[in-house]
Amino acid sequence: MAELTFTPVIGIEIHIRLKSDSKLFCSCSTNTDAPANTNICPVCMGLPGTLPHLNHRIVEQGMLAGFALNCGIRHKSLFFRKSYFYPDLPKGHQVSQCDLPITTSGYIEVHDSEGKLKKIRVHHLHLEEDVGSLHHSASDGRLEGAATSYVDYNRSGTPLAEIVSEPDVSSAKEAVEYVMTLRRRVIYSGASDVELEKGMMRFDANVSMKCSDGRWGKKVEVKNMNSFKALEHAIEFEIKRQKKIMLQGGEVKQETRHWNDAKGITSSSRVKESYRKFIVEPDLPPLYISQEWIDRVASRMPEMPDVRANRYVNDWEIPQEVADVLTDDKNLADYFESCVSSGANPVRAAHWVRTEVLRVLNEKGQKIADFSIKPEVLAGLVKRVDEGKLSTTQGKEVFDYMCANNSGIDDSVKALGITEGGIAGNALNDIIASVIAANPDVLDEIKSGRDKKGKKLKFLQGLVMKETKGQAKPQEVAEAIAEAVK
Amino acid sequence: MELYELNLHILIEGLKAKKFSPAEIFQSCKKRIDQCEENIHAFITRTDDKPQSIENPNGLLAGIPTVLKDNLCTKGIRTTAASKILGNWKPPYNATAWEKLRSAGAVLMGKVNMDEFAMGNTCGNSAFGPTHNPNDISRVPGGSSGGSAAAVSAGYVPFSLGSDTGGSIRQPASFCGVYGFKPTYGMVSRYGLISYGSSLDQIGPFARTVQDLQLIMSIISGHDPMDSSSFRNKDHDFTHSEDVSIKGKRIAVVKEFRDFTLDAPISDAIKRTIKILEDEGAIITEVSLPVVAKYAVACYYALAMSEAHTNLERYDGVRLGYTVKDAAGIKEMFERVRSYGFGAEVKARIIAGTCLTEPSRCEEYYVAATKVRTLIAQEFSRAFGETDFILQPVTPSLPGKIGENDEDALKGYEADLYTLPVNLAGLPGLSFFTGYSGNLPVGLQLIGPRWSDVSMLDTGVILERHLGSPKIANGGVK
Repeated sequence: MAELTFTPVIGIEIHIRLKSDSKLFCSCSTNTDAPANTNICPVCMGLPGTLPHLNHRIVEQGMLAGFALNCGIRHKSLFFRKSYFYPDLPKGHQVSQCDLPITTSGYIEVHDSEGKLKKIRVHHLHLEEDVGSLHHSASDGRLEGAATSYVDYNRSGTPLAEIVSEPDVSSAKEAVEYVMTLRRRVIYSGASDVELEKGMMRFDANVSMKCSDGRWGKKVEVKNMNSFKALEHAIEFEIKRQKKIMLQGGEVKQETRHWNDAKGITSSSRVKESYRKFIVEPDLPPLYISQEWIDRVASRMPEMPDVRANRYVNDWEIPQEVADVLTDDKNLADYFESCVSSGANPVRAAHWVRTEVLRVLNEKGQKIADFSIKPEVLAGLVKRVDEGKLSTTQGKEVFDYMCANNSGIDDSVKALGITEGGIAGNALNDIIASVIAANPDVLDEIKSGRDKKGKKLKFLQGLVMKETKGQAKPQEVAEAIAEAVK
Repeated sequence: MELYELNLHILIEGLKAKKFSPAEIFQSCKKRIDQCEENIHAFITRTDDKPQSIENPNGLLAGIPTVLKDNLCTKGIRTTAASKILGNWKPPYNATAWEKLRSAGAVLMGKVNMDEFAMGNTCGNSAFGPTHNPNDISRVPGGSSGGSAAAVSAGYVPFSLGSDTGGSIRQPASFCGVYGFKPTYGMVSRYGLISYGSSLDQIGPFARTVQDLQLIMSIISGHDPMDSSSFRNKDHDFTHSEDVSIKGKRIAVVKEFRDFTLDAPISDAIKRTIKILEDEGAIITEVSLPVVAKYAVACYYALAMSEAHTNLERYDGVRLGYTVKDAAGIKEMFERVRSYGFGAEVKARIIAGTCLTEPSRCEEYYVAATKVRTLIAQEFSRAFGETDFILQPVTPSLPGKIGENDEDALKGYEADLYTLPVNLAGLPGLSFFTGYSGNLPVGLQLIGPRWSDVSMLDTGVILERHLGSPKIANGGVK
C-alpha cells in the first residue's frame, strides 16, 4: 500500500495597525503607550448618543496598504457592525468593512518548496477599528478565572487593516515568507510601521489537511500569534497534530484553537467562539472613492522592494543577495541610494553599507535613521578608498573612528596619523634612510653579499612597513630599499 | 394672562421690549410645573430647583425655558432614556441640538419622560412610570416623546425637543394638541441622541405655533461634523413670514388609505382641512402608495429592531449605568445587567432584532427589509413627482386610556402605519392641530419630499391661520 501523503491547506488572516496620529472614528491620539484611559473620548468609549465619523486620511493609508498587496480599490465600500459581547469592545460591536471591503483581491509572491515563485492570493484588505486592551489579575493573564480585570480603552478605535489570504499557503515556511514579504511591502507603502514588538501585526491561521486518499480534514482556526516565530511554530504544530489524527483514521474537529507561545502548543479555545452577525453600520454613509482620489494616492506609492532590488541588480550589477539585504529596509535602501547619488560607486557603496554600516547598526542596536554618518559622508569615504587615497584597511579604520567619535573624515584621518595617498617618494626614502642608519650591521651583511636568500632585505622591508604604519606600498618599499642598499 | 401661557415668539418680543425678565418667565413656568406635575408626571429629572445661568444673555433664546426628551445627552445632568440600565449616568458631553439651544440662551427646566429607548407610542413603557395627557389625565399623551409633548401642551415651557423614529414626535404632538415637526433625515444632527434605529431617528421640536417651530428649526438645523448622516451644503431659511401662499400647490391624499377606518373626528378634520386648502388655491389630488400600505409596517419593525439590538449592545455594565458587583464571571455580569436593566418591550425588540439578523435568517428578513425600504423610498419619490405634499392622519384614533393597549402590542405597532413610512424614506412630517373633539385635540399630518421642510412649515402657517392655534391644556387642574 502506498504511503499516505498530506498537503496542508493554509489561509492567513493578518491584522496590521495603520499609521495615523488619530483614531479611525474620532480625533483621539493613537498613542497606546500613554497612561491607561488617557487617550479616550465619548466616541471611542462608545458612550450612548455618540456617532462615528470616518477619518479620511486613514482611508488613504488603507489604499496604500492595498496597493502594496497588488489589490484594486473599490469605488464604493461599506462599514458593518460585527456583534459580540466582550468588555474590551465598548459598543458591543466592532465597526468593520468585513462584507464590502475597500480593496478587491491581490497577491503576494513567495518561494515554494522547490524554490519557484508562487502567488499567494490576497482575498481582500478591509478597514476596521481595534478594541481596547484587558489586563487580568489571573496568573495566566487570561480573562477566565481572573478575580479582577481592568480595561484600557486607549487602543479602542485605533485603525486596523485586516488582510485575508486565500488558502494558497502550503507550509509554515511559505506562511512566514508571505507575512514577511507582506510586512516589508506595507512598510514601504508608508501605510504602517508594522512594529512587531508593539503588537502592530497579529496573525490567525486557518489550517486544514488534504490527504492523498481523498480525505479532506475540517478547517481549524488558530489564533493568538504575535510573531513570525509563533506563526511558524503554531502552523507546524497544527500540521503535525492534524496529520496524526488523520493517520489514525480520526476526524479533525472544526474549531478555534489558541496558540500558547510559552508551551509551544495549540489548545482548544475554552471560551466558545460567540457567534457573530453583521448589519450595515447605519451611522456611516457608504465610503465613495473617486478614480481621481485613487490616482492621487497611487502617485504617492514608492517603488516596491522587489522592483528596487531588481533595479540594483540590472542597472548597477549589484549581487542579488546584497540587493535583497539593502532593500529589506526602505530606509536602508534610501541611505544606500543617497550614497550613490553623492558619487559613490554603486557596487562598492553597496558592500560598504551591507558589511560596515549594518555591522555597526547591529552592534549599537541602532536604526539607519539614527546612524551618525550621513550618506554623503560615507560616499566621500568610499570614493577616497576607490581612488587609492586610503587603503581598504585604512578606510575601515577611519569609518570605525568616525562612528566611535562622531568625527568627520579629515579629522579622523589626522587623528589616526594616516597620510593620504600613502608614503612614497622622499618621505619613504627618508624613512628607509633612517632605518638603514639604525641597522648598520644589517647593511654590512647585505653589502658583503652574505644575504643570499634576501632574508635581511625582507627584514628591512618589515621595519620600514612598520615605520610607515602600512601606508606604503610593499612593492615600492622593496624597490626603494633595493636602490638604497646598492 | 400668565407668562407661561405665552408662545415662544411672544416671549422673545416681550423680553426684547423689557416687558418682563427671564427670571419672571422662569418663575411662572416653574409655578405651572409645580401646579400640574403631580397630575401629568412629565419629568424624569427636574433641573429647575434654582434659576439656571443663561449661557448666552444676548442669544435669540436668552432666558427661554425648555425641556428635553431624556434620550438627549446633557453634560453633567442625568440622562436615562427612561431605562433602569443607564442608572444615574451623567453624560460628559452635550447633544449637538441641545448645545445649539444652550448657546442661544435657552434654559433647561429638566429632562422629560418617554418610552424606554423611544420604543413605544404611549409613553407608558418607561421605567419611571407613565406620563398623562394634559388634556385628559386619564389618557395617554402618546409616545415615545410623550413628556416633551405634554410639557408644551400643559404650558410648562413654550417649546421642547423630542425625537422621531417612527412617529415619536408627530403622534404625541397630535395627542397633546401641539405642533410637532419631524425634519428631513440629516437636517438636525443626531450627535448626542441615544440611538434607537439610527437610520430612522431624527430630532425635532414641539411648540404651540408653527412660527415657533420655524424659530427652533433655524437654530438646531445644519451640518455637524460629529454626525456623518447630517447633510452638508444645504441652506435652509426657516425665517417666519405671514406672506406665504399655497396657490397652485398640489396636495394629495393616499388612495390606499381611503378605506381604512378612522375615528370620526379625524375623518371630519381631513374634510375640513381639504376645504381650507382648496379655498387657499391648492389643487387636491390623489397618489397611490401600494407598497407603503402593504409592507411599510413590517419593513419598519424589521429594520428598527435590527438596528436597535446592535445600538443597545453597549449596555453591558462595564463602563456606565447599572451594574452588578458580585457576578461570577463576565458572562453572568452581562446577563444580569441586561436582564434587570432593560424593560420588557426593549427586551422583546432586542430578541426580535437578534432573530431578524441571525445568519440563517438575515437574508430573509433584515436584507429583505432593506430592499423593501428602497422600494418605499422610490414609491414616495414617484408620488412627489405628482404632488407637492401628502395630507393624511397621524393616527387612526384619538388618544386611548392609560393601560388600554398594553395587552395587545401588535395593535400599537399598526397604529403607526401613518407615521413610520415617513422615517423609512427620510421625509419631513408636520403634525398640526386642527381643533378639539370634546376636550381631546385632533391632529393631522402633512408630509413632503426630502428637504421640503421650509415650504412645509410655510404651509403649516396657512393651516394654523384657518384652523386656529391650540389652547394650553388644563393639566388636570380644575
